[in-house]
Amino acid sequence: MKFIPYFLVGLIGFSACTEVPEEITWKSIEKDLQQRLILTEDSAVIELPAGNFMFTGGLIMDGKNNVTITGAGAEKTILSFANQAEGAEGLKVANGNNITLSNFTIEDSKGDNIKVTDVNGLTISGVRSRWNGEPKEENGAYAFYPVLSKNIIIEYCEAIGASDAGIYVGQSDSVIIRNNRASLNVAGIESENSRWVEIYNNEAYENTGGILVFDLPGLTMTGHTTRVYGNRVYENNYRNFAPAGNIVATVPPGTGIMLLATRNIEIWKNEIIDNRTAGLAIASYELVKGLATENESQLNNNIETAGTDEAYDPYPNQVYIHHNIFENGYAFPTMKNDFGLLFLMKFPFATPDIVWDGIPAPGTNFQMCLSENGEFNFGNLDALNEFEGLTTEWSEFECTEGTISQL
Amino acid sequence: MRWSTLIVFIGFLGCSSPPPKTAVIEEVSLEGSGNTELPGPQFLSQWNLFEGDQKRLVPTTDLVHYEINMPLFSDYAFKKRFIRLPEGQLMTFKPKSSFDFPVGTVLVKNFYYPEDFNRPEKNIRVLETRLLLRDSSKWYPLSYLWNDDQSDAELLITGATIPISWLDKEGVFQTIDYSVPNLAQCKSCHDIGGKLVPLGPNARQLNNTVLHPNSNQLVAWKTAGLIKDMPELADIDMMPGMDKNVETPLLAKAWLDVNCGHCHQENGPARNTGLHLTYYEQDLYRLGLNKPPVAAGRGSAGLMYDIVAGKPDESILMQRIESLDPGIMMPELGRKLQHKEGIDLIRKWILEMENKKAS
Repeated sequence: MKFIPYFLVGLIGFSACTEVPEEITWKSIEKDLQQRLILTEDSAVIELPAGNFMFTGGLIMDGKNNVTITGAGAEKTILSFANQAEGAEGLKVANGNNITLSNFTIEDSKGDNIKVTDVNGLTISGVRSRWNGEPKEENGAYAFYPVLSKNIIIEYCEAIGASDAGIYVGQSDSVIIRNNRASLNVAGIESENSRWVEIYNNEAYENTGGILVFDLPGLTMTGHTTRVYGNRVYENNYRNFAPAGNIVATVPPGTGIMLLATRNIEIWKNEIIDNRTAGLAIASYELVKGLATENESQLNNNIETAGTDEAYDPYPNQVYIHHNIFENGYAFPTMKNDFGLLFLMKFPFATPDIVWDGIPAPGTNFQMCLSENGEFNFGNLDALNEFEGLTTEWSEFECTEGTISQL
Repeated sequence: MRWSTLIVFIGFLGCSSPPPKTAVIEEVSLEGSGNTELPGPQFLSQWNLFEGDQKRLVPTTDLVHYEINMPLFSDYAFKKRFIRLPEGQLMTFKPKSSFDFPVGTVLVKNFYYPEDFNRPEKNIRVLETRLLLRDSSKWYPLSYLWNDDQSDAELLITGATIPISWLDKEGVFQTIDYSVPNLAQCKSCHDIGGKLVPLGPNARQLNNTVLHPNSNQLVAWKTAGLIKDMPELADIDMMPGMDKNVETPLLAKAWLDVNCGHCHQENGPARNTGLHLTYYEQDLYRLGLNKPPVAAGRGSAGLMYDIVAGKPDESILMQRIESLDPGIMMPELGRKLQHKEGIDLIRKWILEMENKKAS
């Protein structure tokens, strides 16, 4: 069964190549569109025609309300930034209310394809955002990048080739990410330092990591309360092509879902299939720091003292995981990452489906509830004690219903 | 499973054809008209800012010429700045932020290149004049592009690219495609808390004697009755300019304040990064020391921290102010060249950090 869809996809890819590639006629609407974005009155609909449009600089829309930018469809309206000579984004929307972006493709920006900042009310629907060619480090960081915003919906979109995250939301609240597809990104879908986030009915496949929920120190807000459900998260085994230094560069290839230092999370009814290294990984920021300091030992002291952020809690907690399906047809985890090698050594032929770094907040118990997840391999790394107490035992986390109270 | 995946990848590689870089691309218009009302007068001369031959930028009597200590780097363009206050009205002193200006104020900034930087008054090519206008509720920008015969400038909405060349101070011929920003890009820098604001006219920048060698610009303004609520000169901050012989961290923070701090501050658009590059920032972590990047993407250049003490070449900050790649470079807009003097300064600052780690 599992073979058939891949086989089909392969065929489609193949047949497209046997045809003589069509010469694309690029046109420019750059001046006209940028002028429209500047002069538009509130509540306008800016229609992008069908066609292939090339841009040399980033587009900006600032301080507008109730404006819709819509194309003739993701297959028909193509905005390419392959010739971009200035601007750090393809399209940037800033400081507005109730903005809608829909029905076009945006591709090959030098930085992020779509960045939205300081907007209240954002819908992105039916937009395909991608970098063409083999995924590489030089691709832009984010395909979709709403940040410092609230009341966001991203739906029926597709993100391909981002060197950080395909669909990313950061330092935002009240976010719905649904019915999207993300592939060949480092992180398929990532929520960072955000609150009240719903990630459901998405497909995340062939990324390095499928779905990430992260909380990092030193930012304008901390995140919590995120629900991840009904997603298909499979074959996220792509090599990690994020530039080093970025937090996602630490994600092992073969990661299905990963939680980092975040609280009040519910994960249910996901199909987490054939992610070779870990189906669901739960880690503290202590572990990340440990990795960083291992590589750069001279910085041990500095990172400890400099990174002090009193509002920040580096430990994950209150995680409720139930009714998921875990499968992993791979015999070995990735060998290209320290965790893959660790799992290979410590969990031979039983790569964990659910793995926790085993670092609880000092003086407290880690609250995790595991229920109705079928058969799965578990791993508690006890990473703080050189993996001495590493165990596959999870009975202490077994529960029958949710024990997490909403924040 | 593996094989079919591989085939997908081959498909991916084989089918993608990057668009040709050299193709001549036909410019077309969008359907419908949209709003085409100009946001201001079509010609700069309609503002009555300059006397006689416009390109000489000789101000009318109601314009106040001013200088700042540390200018933003704009590809070595020369700048001439003026304030026009509404008759009989005063600006209000603020200790840290930009001054308050009365409704009707016009801030004027002209960008020009002399043919030879060693003869800065001769053979000047004026490129653009940017205005910031104080309306009843907010500031808004207008930008005027000078025509080829330098007789006037015309309102520009979508920006432009102008080839320009000059002889630098060492007598080396320089040439760039100078980028005039579009109106939306103004706010990419002039943005505090989502509102468009002036950046240059603040106390630490205006506290100088460049145009008033026997006095002080602010004192002269007070004497002329242009400003109110001004404290004693001794109580007013002063930020050093590049030519000042002051300790490196102070000068470095002044450079960062002007070139980065408009976004990288508590209420600026880059606050999501947690990197605060202002003159007043005391916390070395917030200035980037041992701070991992947040959303740098390939801007990280594979490095782990914004600043590593004593190691400029391992510092992301350094890489980004040196880069000319639009996906990496900082600031994101407004330059096509490296600011060599600024780069040398930040390099020195990071190098000198080594011995002070303990403090």
